[in-house]
Amino acid sequence: MGRASGAVRDPVAGAVARLLSAGAIASVVLVALGVALMLAAGLRPTSDSGPDPDPASILADAVALRPAGLLWAGLLLTVALPTARVALALAGFLRLGDRRASAVAAGVLGVLALAFAVARATS
Amino acid sequence: MAVTLLLAAGGLGAGVFGALLGLGGGVLLVPILTLAFGLPFREAVAISLLAVITTSSASAAVYLERGVANLRLGMTLELLTASGALAGGLLAFILDERLLAGIFAAMLVYVAVSMARRRGPGVDEQPPDLVADPVDASRPAIGFAATLGGPGYAVRRLPLGLALSAFAGLQSALLGVGGGIVKVPAMHLAMGVPLRVATATSNLTIGVTASASAVLYLLRGALDPYVAGPVVLGVFVGATAAAHIAHRVSLRVVRLLFVVVLVYVAVQMAGRALSAVSG
Repeated sequence: MGRASGAVRDPVAGAVARLLSAGAIASVVLVALGVALMLAAGLRPTSDSGPDPDPASILADAVALRPAGLLWAGLLLTVALPTARVALALAGFLRLGDRRASAVAAGVLGVLALAFAVARATS
Repeated sequence: MAVTLLLAAGGLGAGVFGALLGLGGGVLLVPILTLAFGLPFREAVAISLLAVITTSSASAAVYLERGVANLRLGMTLELLTASGALAGGLLAFILDERLLAGIFAAMLVYVAVSMARRRGPGVDEQPPDLVADPVDASRPAIGFAATLGGPGYAVRRLPLGLALSAFAGLQSALLGVGGGIVKVPAMHLAMGVPLRVATATSNLTIGVTASASAVLYLLRGALDPYVAGPVVLGVFVGATAAAHIAHRVSLRVVRLLFVVVLVYVAVQMAGRALSAVSG
């Protein structure tokens, strides 16, 4: 797909774009595999409740091709991808010496970290 | 198997409609999951948030690669959208689900009326260069805002844009929608950002906005992977397919159909809000 004329060659934006693209594809592939295994196993959503996410077992379940493991791996990757994107942008801005953009990116990371902390504390 | 495929089909339909009309999948997805599948409102919102993150990430990558989305402006607005989403995510577990359904119904009516009032090609269908800058261009951008502009445009009224972004984040977390119906007008009409850039930048910010509240829903057990998986997959496929068929369909017909569907869904959601039984 060709680029629009006048495309901005921003190295940070380019790196973020590649991360988002790869991350989105990876998460969708994991979820698709999980759904395929769900179908094969005859699991019925809305009547067969899935397990809660357990970080300790997700990887092992995914490697063992258990539906819940693959689904959680894909879904958690989905939730984590925006945070990874902000962290990558922060690293890029710091490398460019862009203090204002770095401060903004650090602030966004701070809000996301606060959201995670609040979620853990109140769950 | 049938339920799995139906969930995927529901996601597919929401993804196609949402992408064709630039609204994201959440506007239709939450009603489908609550009304057709009987899911609790909060679970539907949680699944919708995951779906909009997936589609946002994929489309934002393209917009960034093409140099259309403004990364620095988007991240500045994310400071407030994510904060609003955090507040909204907390509020969502305090408010009664019937009240949330009522707020959702009101939002659907607003969107339906906005669409029905458009005559001829919508502003979203015009080439971006033909969309006039609604902000007085003679006023120079100043301060931090002056560093956020892009080729051929400057960012103005940043404080107003930030305030509207916080509201967009709150709305996104409460209702499971991307928030584009607030963010795009905020950037375009209030801040003077060209429509195409505003749409692309809004898409970029949806991921962080939704992620800030999705983690709250996730850790509070409001997400079932067996339901979320097929829906997220369906929305992604639908949104991707819509990008390929958009030029072949009459957006006027799609919009008319969408208005009818929105009104019907709004009535159903209002009925749910008024019912004696909480979801």
